[in-house]
Amino acid sequence: MGEGRGFFGGLRRQILDFIYGMSTHEMTRQALKTRGSMEHLFILITMGDLLGVPILPPYYSLRLLPYVVPQISTWKRRMLREKDLTDALA
Amino acid sequence: MPDPDSGTTGTTPASLARIFTDNPDRRYIMFGGKGGLGKTTFSAATAYHLARQGHRVLVFSVDPQASLSDIFQRDIFGKGPVEVIPGLFAQEIDADRRIKAYQQEIRQKIFDMYGFDQIPDEIENYIQAAAAEPAMEESAIFDEVVDIVVAGNYDYYIYDLVPLGHALYYLSMAKVYDEWIERITKLRAEMREYEEMAARMKREAQQLDEDKILGELQYIRNRISTSSRILTDKAKTAFFFVLVPEEMILIDTQKAAQLFSKFNVPISGYIVNRVLPAELARQQIPPYLRNRLQMQGAYLDKITTLFGSEVLAHIPEFERDITGLPMIERMAAAMFGGAA
Repeated sequence: MGEGRGFFGGLRRQILDFIYGMSTHEMTRQALKTRGSMEHLFILITMGDLLGVPILPPYYSLRLLPYVVPQISTWKRRMLREKDLTDALA
Repeated sequence: MPDPDSGTTGTTPASLARIFTDNPDRRYIMFGGKGGLGKTTFSAATAYHLARQGHRVLVFSVDPQASLSDIFQRDIFGKGPVEVIPGLFAQEIDADRRIKAYQQEIRQKIFDMYGFDQIPDEIENYIQAAAAEPAMEESAIFDEVVDIVVAGNYDYYIYDLVPLGHALYYLSMAKVYDEWIERITKLRAEMREYEEMAARMKREAQQLDEDKILGELQYIRNRISTSSRILTDKAKTAFFFVLVPEEMILIDTQKAAQLFSKFNVPISGYIVNRVLPAELARQQIPPYLRNRLQMQGAYLDKITTLFGSEVLAHIPEFERDITGLPMIERMAAAMFGGAA
C-alpha cells in the first residue's frame, strides 16, 4: 500500500507540477521579476550615493545598509550596465 | 550696571516670567534668531532661572559650533549632561563621536549578519563616504536629541538652537524625512505583496521571513515624528524669537517668523536684546552714542508696532559680555525679574 501511495503520490505531484507549469509559472515569474525591479528601485532610493546619486541624507540609509549588502553588487551591475535589444525581449 | 527695568519700553521682566508660570506644560523651550544675538545667553539664563525655582532643567546645544562651554566657563563638550548648579544640566552634543560610534554599530551589524571577517571594500567605502556628508552631522545631532527627549529625565528642555537658516533646515528635514519614509515604506509593503503572491502560486508553505527592513523603516519614522511632533506642539513647546533693534534683523525676523508659522512652530513671543538704557539720553554722552540711542528708539517703536503685545521683554545691553554664573544670574534677573 505504501508503494501504491508512493506511486500515486508521485503521479499527483507530477500532475500538479505540470499544471503549475502550464498555468501559473509565468505569473509567478512575472511577480518575482516585478519584485526584483522594486528591490533595485528600493536600493537606488536608499543607497543612491553609491552611484553618486545622493537622494537623501545618509544617516538613516546607513541603518538599512546591512540588510542590502548581498544585493549591492548585482544591483550596481544592473544599474550601470548598458542596455541592448535583448532588454526589450526579456 | 544699567537698571534692567529702565526705559520706555512698556514691558517688564514679569511678562516673560508669566509665560512660564501660566503655561507649566510648556516643557520644551527654544530660542531662535540670527547668529550672535544672544540665543545661547538667553538659553543659559532661562535654564538658570528655572533651576533656581526648583525644576530639573537640561539646556543642550544642537549647534555643531556650540558655545555653552564658553558661557558656563566649563568644558562640557561631549561629556553628556553636566550639572552646573543644582538642577541645571548643560550638554553639548559631540556629533563626530556619535557618527563614529554609529558607523561602528553598522559594521558590527554586517559582521553579525553575514559572518564576514572583513567588510567588503564597496560597503566600507560607502560607510566612509556617508559619514563625510555635511548633512550627516546635523542628522546625528537630530537623532541624539530624540534620545535625550525620549528619555524624559527633566522637567524642562531648553534647546540652544542653531541660527535661523539651520533651524529651518532642521524643521524641514523632519518633514522631508517623514514623507520619504512613508513612500519607501509603501514600496516595501508592495514588494512584500509580490513576494507573497509568488509564494502562494508556487504553493510554498514556508513562512516568509519577517521583513526586517520594514521594521527599520518604521523605527526611523517613529524617531523622526517624535522630534517634529515636539517642535510643533502648541501645548508643550514655547518658541521665542530673539532680535535686536536694527533694521536688517527686524526684516529677517519677520521673514523667519512667517516661515516658522508655515511649519506650524508655535511662536510664544519676541525678546529684544541689547537695548541701550534710555536714561543715557539724560546724561552727557558723545554724539556717536546719542545717534545709536536715537536709531534704537526708532526701531524699538517699529518693533512695538509690528509685534505689539508679543514682545515679552527688552533686555539691556550690559557693560560686559555674559559669561560665567554671576553674569548669567544678572541676565536671568533682567529677563525674569529679581526673583531669580
